[in-house]
Amino acid sequence: MLPDDFLTYLTIGLTHYLVVGAVLFVTGLFTMMTKRNAIGILIGVELVLNSAGVNLVAFDRYMAPGRVDGQIMTLFVIVIAAAEAAIAVGICINLYKNLATVDVDSARKLQG
Amino acid sequence: MNGHTYEILLALGVLAPFVSFWILVFFGPKMGKPGAGWFGVVMGMGIPLVLAIIVLVGWIGELQSGHAGELTANAYRFHWANLGTVPATIGVKLDSLTVAMFFMVALVAFLIFVFSVGYMSGHSDEVDGQCKYSRFFAYLSLFGFSMLGLVVSSSLFFLFVFWELVGLCSYFLIGFYFDKGFASAAAIKAFITNRVGDFGFLIGLMLVFFQLKTLDLDDAAVRFAEQYAAGTGIFASQFTMFGWSLATIMGVGLFCGAMGKSAQFPLHVWLPDAMAGPTPVSALIHAATMVAAGVYLVARVFRLMTPEALMFVAAIGCLTLTLMALVAIVQTDIKKCLAYSTLSQLGYMIFGMGCGAWIAALFHLITHAFFKAMLFLCSGQVIEGCHHEQEMPRMGGLRKKMPVTCWTFFIGVLAISGAGIAGTKIGLGGFFSKDEILAVAYVRAYEWEEGDYHKHDAGEGHGTGHASTVENDGVTYRLASDPVHGDGHGEERAGGAHGDSHGAASKASIFAHIPKLPKWMFWLAIFTAYVTPFYMMRAWWMTFMGKPRDQHVYEHAHEIPLMYLPLVALAIGTFWASYKLFRPLIDDASHAATDAAMVLATNGASHTEAIGAAHQWLKFGVGGAFIVGFVIAIAIYRKGLARAEAIRKAAGPLHVILVKKYFFDEVYNFVWVKGCILVAKIARLFDTYIIDLFVNLAAAFTARLATFSGIIVDNGGVDGVVNGIANTSIDFGDAVRQPQTGRVRNYMLFATAVATIVIICVLIFGLEAQETVASAGSMVP
Amino acid sequence: MKSAGLTKRVALAAVVLIAWGLLVPPALGSGDSATAETIKTQAPGSPIEAVLFYGIAAGTIVCALGVCISTNIVRMAVWLFGALACVAVLYFSLAATFIAAIQLIVYVGGTLILLVFGVMLTSKSASVRFSTARWELIGAGAVCVALLACLAAVFIGAGWTTIEGTGSGVAVADIGRTMITKYVVPFEVAGVLLMIVMVGAAHLARQEKK
Repeated sequence: MLPDDFLTYLTIGLTHYLVVGAVLFVTGLFTMMTKRNAIGILIGVELVLNSAGVNLVAFDRYMAPGRVDGQIMTLFVIVIAAAEAAIAVGICINLYKNLATVDVDSARKLQG
Repeated sequence: MNGHTYEILLALGVLAPFVSFWILVFFGPKMGKPGAGWFGVVMGMGIPLVLAIIVLVGWIGELQSGHAGELTANAYRFHWANLGTVPATIGVKLDSLTVAMFFMVALVAFLIFVFSVGYMSGHSDEVDGQCKYSRFFAYLSLFGFSMLGLVVSSSLFFLFVFWELVGLCSYFLIGFYFDKGFASAAAIKAFITNRVGDFGFLIGLMLVFFQLKTLDLDDAAVRFAEQYAAGTGIFASQFTMFGWSLATIMGVGLFCGAMGKSAQFPLHVWLPDAMAGPTPVSALIHAATMVAAGVYLVARVFRLMTPEALMFVAAIGCLTLTLMALVAIVQTDIKKCLAYSTLSQLGYMIFGMGCGAWIAALFHLITHAFFKAMLFLCSGQVIEGCHHEQEMPRMGGLRKKMPVTCWTFFIGVLAISGAGIAGTKIGLGGFFSKDEILAVAYVRAYEWEEGDYHKHDAGEGHGTGHASTVENDGVTYRLASDPVHGDGHGEERAGGAHGDSHGAASKASIFAHIPKLPKWMFWLAIFTAYVTPFYMMRAWWMTFMGKPRDQHVYEHAHEIPLMYLPLVALAIGTFWASYKLFRPLIDDASHAATDAAMVLATNGASHTEAIGAAHQWLKFGVGGAFIVGFVIAIAIYRKGLARAEAIRKAAGPLHVILVKKYFFDEVYNFVWVKGCILVAKIARLFDTYIIDLFVNLAAAFTARLATFSGIIVDNGGVDGVVNGIANTSIDFGDAVRQPQTGRVRNYMLFATAVATIVIICVLIFGLEAQETVASAGSMVP
Repeated sequence: MKSAGLTKRVALAAVVLIAWGLLVPPALGSGDSATAETIKTQAPGSPIEAVLFYGIAAGTIVCALGVCISTNIVRMAVWLFGALACVAVLYFSLAATFIAAIQLIVYVGGTLILLVFGVMLTSKSASVRFSTARWELIGAGAVCVALLACLAAVFIGAGWTTIEGTGSGVAVADIGRTMITKYVVPFEVAGVLLMIVMVGAAHLARQEKK
């Protein structure tokens, strides 16, 4: 019933985490592509950043165990995500002030 | 004062009116009517006058302490640029002549500025939206700048620049009433006539530039003498024209500029017309200063003149002084009468220069500036007082209405006539200056023998190195026998004139063979000395004496202090200039400025001593000329115009010739204006029938060709292609425009799609590509 | 709607707690080399770990899909909370305990709250929906699926050479030490960045005065 290499599936490796990261990345991307709400886009960005974090930590764990570089990078990612979120929320509020909506479709004055 | 203080002061004096000009241009209209005028007086000429007085006083001190020559020699030259290999330098020519001229110009101009404030008071500032009042003073300031700059220029190049600026100001001011047709026509006439002279000036300038390789006045003179001694440069040329060598042509060319500016025969035609300008302008520019610039130029380039060129100068001066004096007799317009007398007096100066009476000519320039400015201002007072009536026959008896003007005018008449007591030192203006010119002319015409300088020089050969001074019957001959070794900066007075032991007698000098002056020139000058008092007294008598001929004019006549105070000041200046001040300065300048040339001079006291020593008849003949002239004039005009009318009828055609000014205007009109028009008409015919024929043929052919190419080739072929490309572009653009939604998320979608496609491509083709790269890389050792 | 969100939240919280219980005790002691050895021997092929991983991975994916599918912004935020929490658990399972803690504190406690504030401040009604064009949805879906397939193919086919056995996690002290030595410049830059962000956000969000 079970495949011969069943045990290899039980052995969780780098690839597993990377695939999870990829799924996070793609869903984040999809969110960004389809949401008209500015906050929604922001949420998509958070997902993408998280996928990066997962990848970094996974690489750190499996390819350079004992070293902290990957984790520190993840920390930076989190910091940047927090900063980006703060700025983005500020922009959203400004957008809302100016246009009375957070629909990004209405903010296209720069379109040629 | 030491160093370059004098130069700085003079330069500041030049710049002050320039600053005044710009301020008046921009802010003059806001200053309003009296304000702009007084600003022009103070800033435009007051400051230069103060500086001129400081420099003059200081300079006299330097002369007495003997430092003047040193200052002249050490004058600063700013090296501005190289014209080819020839340096163009800017500097102040610091010598006695500059100081004297600067002071004269500043003083006369200042008084005329003051007069102008009164004269222009009748003009409101706004005339048809033009700020004529302030603009007048702006022009006057610009003129002051140009004239003072001309006087101090050390190089011919900048002298020429200021020369043209002066001409430009003259143009502006003659055409000041440009809404009157005759004024703008006169301005254009003056400008064009001056261009004719300046063409000659430019030729001379170019010869200086190419042959002497310098533009500095002093350097040019030294090089000129060097080249003469060595037979190189300009003297090596075999070129001749009208029998003149190249060196003579250079001198004549430079003199042509002076002919234009000083209105010498046959370029004199503009000056009488220039009286269309406001009267202060006539006084300042066309009597006292600008027209004297020509004489000044000749004085400055005197050292570049060959004897032949000087003879030409003398001939032109002689013709001018005689012909113009005769025309002045028949003039009825008071300003034109004075204009012709100016021409005549300028002729005297030029004649003096040509004779070698360098000192006397400049002396006459300065005395003339004072009394002629005064005469013109008087006429301005008369004209203004009589409501712009300029015709003398309608005046008469004005002495009661304007006494100050009357008697200052009379002083001017005396001065220009050379009135004085023969045999003494009591006299006015021309008595000293004009008669000295006549004295020198007499010596040149009668007592001169070719090579005289040589003779006298050799006679004193024991001890005259640089210059020799010979006393002969009261006339001094001075000649720098070896200018190459002279330092050229005016130390001859200390060294050469009193004889250092340079030893050698004269070397080959360009002035070794100075020809005698033709006797007719001298006699014409003497004759004119009798004519001058006549027409001046005639003008004065017609205007101020006798009975009023036009009651209307007479009743309106008046004079105002602002206008007659400058007259009084100029009258005092006339006395003063005649005696003390200027003669020693020019005398000093002659040693420096003419070190390579001949200068003939009387001893500077009075003509009577010079001439009278040999010929008593000449002494009283010249000295008494004014009495004869006055008597004849009074005899004719004492009882109104009746006798004059009778003489006029008796004279007949002669009178017509004089009234028509020898038909110069008509001849010029016929030859030049009509000639130009004729040439233009011929050219037009050629254009119409020959050139146009070709053009029309070409046009017709082109039109046919255009029809063919336009309809068939262009519309069908070229436009089809172009429109096709354009339509394709539009369609393509429309298609490409679709994805440009303006939504970031769409862009992101597209970007991701492309990235995905790339990844897919790499996944599918990547290995092969890697292998290709690897194999390619392995081929490289 | 609210009840559904609440249910899921409770379920996710349970998942987090379970993960915490299973992984944290050994991970917390990761500074000790002996404990590291234990994990090292246990880690490969451990059925518990495999089950745990698949469970949490599934939770992560579900939550992420929930984010991208839901159209209500508040629901999206809740799904995001789940996804973030699951990722935190993944960090735990990767023996990166410090990062996991930070993930929970900063993301869940900070960023998410920030987003919710943003939602509340910018929307008259929290349930406002903006519909997206159908072609966009289909296109985005197709592209994303293709991209995921590509990424998965790359990751699986890459043949990573992993180093096994020492993945015992590291001490927080090491992270701190490295942060202020090797990474001191990025650290400071990050600090400056945060300050700038603080000022910038305050500027952006401030009330316009007229």
